[in-house]
Amino acid sequence: MARIDLRDVSVDFPVYNVHARSLKKNFLRVATGGNVSEDTNHHVVVRSINRLNLSLRHGDRLGLIGHNGSGKSTLLRLLARIYEPTEGDFNIEGHVSPMLEIMHGIEAEFTGYENIYIRGTVLGLTRQEIKQQVDSIAELTGLGDFLAMPVRTYSSGMMVRLVFAISTSIKPEILLIDEVFGAGDADFMEKARNKMISLLNQSSIVVMATHADVLIKEFCNKALLLDGGKLKYFGSVDTALKLYHQKENVSN
Amino acid sequence: MSNEAQLTTMEMHAADALLTEQDVVFNKPSHWQLAKTDLIDGALRWRIWFMLAYQDIKLRYRRSLLGPFWLTISMAITVYSMGYLYAHLFHAELSHYYPFLVAGMLSWSLLSTIVTELTEGWTAFDSFIKQVKLPYSLYMHRIACRNLLIFFHNVLVMIPVYLIFFHEVRINLNTLLVIPGLIAIYLNTILYGLALSMIGARFRDISQIIKSFVGVIFFVTPVMWTPDLLGSKKYLVDLNPFYAFIELIRQPLLGGTPTLKNILVVTLATLFGAFIGLKLFTRYRARIIYWI
Repeated sequence: MARIDLRDVSVDFPVYNVHARSLKKNFLRVATGGNVSEDTNHHVVVRSINRLNLSLRHGDRLGLIGHNGSGKSTLLRLLARIYEPTEGDFNIEGHVSPMLEIMHGIEAEFTGYENIYIRGTVLGLTRQEIKQQVDSIAELTGLGDFLAMPVRTYSSGMMVRLVFAISTSIKPEILLIDEVFGAGDADFMEKARNKMISLLNQSSIVVMATHADVLIKEFCNKALLLDGGKLKYFGSVDTALKLYHQKENVSN
Repeated sequence: MSNEAQLTTMEMHAADALLTEQDVVFNKPSHWQLAKTDLIDGALRWRIWFMLAYQDIKLRYRRSLLGPFWLTISMAITVYSMGYLYAHLFHAELSHYYPFLVAGMLSWSLLSTIVTELTEGWTAFDSFIKQVKLPYSLYMHRIACRNLLIFFHNVLVMIPVYLIFFHEVRINLNTLLVIPGLIAIYLNTILYGLALSMIGARFRDISQIIKSFVGVIFFVTPVMWTPDLLGSKKYLVDLNPFYAFIELIRQPLLGGTPTLKNILVVTLATLFGAFIGLKLFTRYRARIIYWI
């Protein structure tokens, strides 16, 4: 059974090509982004997750809400074990399937089929396993013979179809989604939506970051409001969204 | 005003819900355990690094008629023309010097490319590393494997040499010693890669410095010239680890064997590489992602 536990987790980014002295005095606490400060070696450090506590269990569908730079993507990358926390403890049990920047890793010179093999291998599948899936992926893309052509000949809509079909051909336990992508024509959107829902239903835990309230309301049963890397609220989706928009109004 | 009051109560309410469940036991693996897992995992996922290495080569020669055999051809053009010219420059016997240079250049190009690429072992793949969690050591295998594949293409330039200078060099049992030689180079690529990529990721000037040094090393290492030209100063060559590694490949290709001294230097270099590579990797592995 998948589970995620974070205790007092912080993520600090060192920024080496900026001199602390060149920043304005008493480092700005800006509207977007985390806190900028200086470490003992006089390097500029951006704290992008600040002492976060979180527990997720089977069945949790968490929506991440927050401004640009509030730490949503960093948190997703933390859960994907890409970033290791600079402070705090964490336990993640279960296989993590990140769908972060899904366009990444697509080689324009290779054909659609070759890209399916490449992505499949990176995801840890054997050649045999990919072979079994290749037909269903091909069908979902609806690209037909275009799959045998180099990806550089694709239109951007076709690219999205390919990438979406490849990235959703997983059996996720913990599913991480960054900014659910929407592109392609109406026919494909319908297919993509069904695929997405079945993917969400298969997963034990889902964490998704998006600015689209509709998606969070539809798919999530919990929400986490982040502000400057700090947890502002964790609980019901409606309250989190209300708080989020309320804050916008107050600051305006 | 009422809005603000509402916000505060909600924040307090949030504070209750957000606490991590108290019964959770956090396992805290040591730096060394994590590093070890990374190294083992990296080796086991050979499917990925082999595919990536192969893809690197395929991509470079996409749509060209000869594909990766351009590697062979450009190597052939370089060494065949150099061999002829330098044999005259050094007043050396062509049948003796020519195979020596060709085999030497093959070994040198393998070593120098590896060293240069290792300084950007992780920074070159940063977009990859930031998207997918894969063991860091996997990228070292990718570089090592890619360069071995290139070497196997390059080594074909030896064939005409074997045919033309058949009374000077021949394929015999010693030639098989190329295999342990390549294994030693592979192992050192991983070990030194951990150190070089680490330093290269944190201090970006280092990779530039090393790249310019590689050019110098070519001239101070007996690739084009034979060590006996040094006369009484021959010890300068024996201390050069690059020479030892080159001999590991060059001698078997010429049907000879590397000397014990060569093997000793390689062993020491490997031990040193293991020490520094593992030490740095254990200590700073978790920081890599923040540096690249």
